[in-house]
Amino acid sequence: MGRPILELHNISKRFGALTALRDLSFHIGEGEVIGLLGDNGAGKSTAINLISGIHRPSAGHLSVDGHETLFTCRNDSAEAGIETIYQNTALVDSLSITRNIFMGRERCSAGGMLKLAQMREIAMEVLKSAVHISGIDSPDMLVGDLSGGQKQAVAIARAVYFKRRILLLDEPTSALSVRETEAFLNQVLKLKSENVSSVLVTHNLYHAYQVCDRFVIMSHGTKVFDVPKAQTSIGQLTEYVVMT
Amino acid sequence: MSTVSPSLPAATPPPRLHRRSALMRLISAPAGAILVAFLLLQLACITYALIAPDDFRYLSARNLTILMKAIPVLGCLALGVGILMIAGEFDLSVGSIYTLTAVVMAVQVAGGLNPFLAAGLAILIGVAIGILHGWITLRAGLPSFIVTLGGLLFWRGAVLLYNGAVQVRFDPGPVFSDLFGGTFLGVNAAFWWFLALSVAFFFLLHRHRFGNHVFATGGNRSAATAIGIDVGKVKIAAFAIAGGMAAFAGILATVRVGSVQPGQGTGLELQAIAACVIGGLSLTGGRGSVLGIFLGAMLIHTITNVLLLLRAPGFYLDMFIAVLIVGAAAFNSLIERKGRG
Repeated sequence: MGRPILELHNISKRFGALTALRDLSFHIGEGEVIGLLGDNGAGKSTAINLISGIHRPSAGHLSVDGHETLFTCRNDSAEAGIETIYQNTALVDSLSITRNIFMGRERCSAGGMLKLAQMREIAMEVLKSAVHISGIDSPDMLVGDLSGGQKQAVAIARAVYFKRRILLLDEPTSALSVRETEAFLNQVLKLKSENVSSVLVTHNLYHAYQVCDRFVIMSHGTKVFDVPKAQTSIGQLTEYVVMT
Repeated sequence: MSTVSPSLPAATPPPRLHRRSALMRLISAPAGAILVAFLLLQLACITYALIAPDDFRYLSARNLTILMKAIPVLGCLALGVGILMIAGEFDLSVGSIYTLTAVVMAVQVAGGLNPFLAAGLAILIGVAIGILHGWITLRAGLPSFIVTLGGLLFWRGAVLLYNGAVQVRFDPGPVFSDLFGGTFLGVNAAFWWFLALSVAFFFLLHRHRFGNHVFATGGNRSAATAIGIDVGKVKIAAFAIAGGMAAFAGILATVRVGSVQPGQGTGLELQAIAACVIGGLSLTGGRGSVLGIFLGAMLIHTITNVLLLLRAPGFYLDMFIAVLIVGAAAFNSLIERKGRG
């Protein structure tokens, strides 16, 4: 697998008396898909929020491309090429796909007027090349008219267009149908082939096993197991998630 | 490394997307339903006016002039309130701002100030009050409904504090009067202003980056924040626009009447919100169009006008508008639910 592009070094996170993360270290390689697994309360979501800049570590640090760094807000992580795609994707239902893809990063002329035709063309191209979920036939469709899987496809298309290197996928399949899940997992693999890394947080070990190269299992705020796919099985992963 | 079977078909879209008819799509568009309603009403009025020109003087020059003079005041208020509603906030104070700024302008002109400077001052005060309301709303984390309800009462009181309960005459001279109340190409100047502002608002809201941020802020505040839009700034700007437009409506009304009554404008804020709701704006923000606001204001005045021409007693007006508002809101919410599937 490629060189590590993001590393967590001995990260701890405390919320008052509660210790959510304890001495957590792992790395994400270039073009690598990591399954971040663990039972409820293991600290997966805190870890994701920390990587995306929503939380700051109480101790320890992150490095990007080997350089120590600190994310103080969402924009910092976005600048480092990290995009978080939540179960509830950050899209506006009442706007078109094009406007959602370019939301906050509009292509404008000098006076701030939108270059709608140009954005529409790019959106169409992105939807065609990056997103393989059918049913999205026009970038003018309102996001509110899309299904859960299609919405996620749009969120991913946005991440791909803006050249994200790492996608943080927090329970992305929990609201999807079986078909949508398959299409979604296919997308993760396609992005991997284009050297985009992903961190997949899920309760569904079968989904994780389908696409991940490596598994990081967390329990009580720390890492208890870190294993490449070739050296483990679903049975062993289940055991670790349940028993630790 | 396992792969997911490539032969699996990708997720299929919900079939309803294909079954929607052209009419259904038009009606579900932000201003589609009101456009249909407006055209049908016009068709009915014009037909009846042609059949019985003596009984129903809808097309008479005099009636059209009255209509064109009446619409811009509500229309300008509604444009400002509408942009704020799309950003997800309410302004109940625009009627009071409209009166206060008009009184300030009239008093200043009576005191010898150049009317153009006085009008600029009025708009500036409107904008400042809007910013103040926005700042309090965001800073204190209060619903704008409450803050601007306070504004409604406060600025109404400020009118009396400033100049007492007396009517102020407004005589700005011919240039100012012609510019805001004259006639150009047979159409009232105020109506030209309303048309021009509607076009400007269309470009601002639907073709400018700011408009995109307004829709994003009202449509999904957390998504807008996550993507890096400063939702606080967007909302404050929308409050400022609502205040400024209220002041501008005050200028148009004052020029038309030639005086300001301290009690005028009561209930106008509700009519402006009504025009927006009838025009298809969502009460929860993020949905709407300038065309909808424009037609909403037109529709309210057309219906008022028709009822007057039919010599219906005054209370019918309010009752009719009331039914229209509730009906339109119910219709909008139905469309939104359908949109969400």
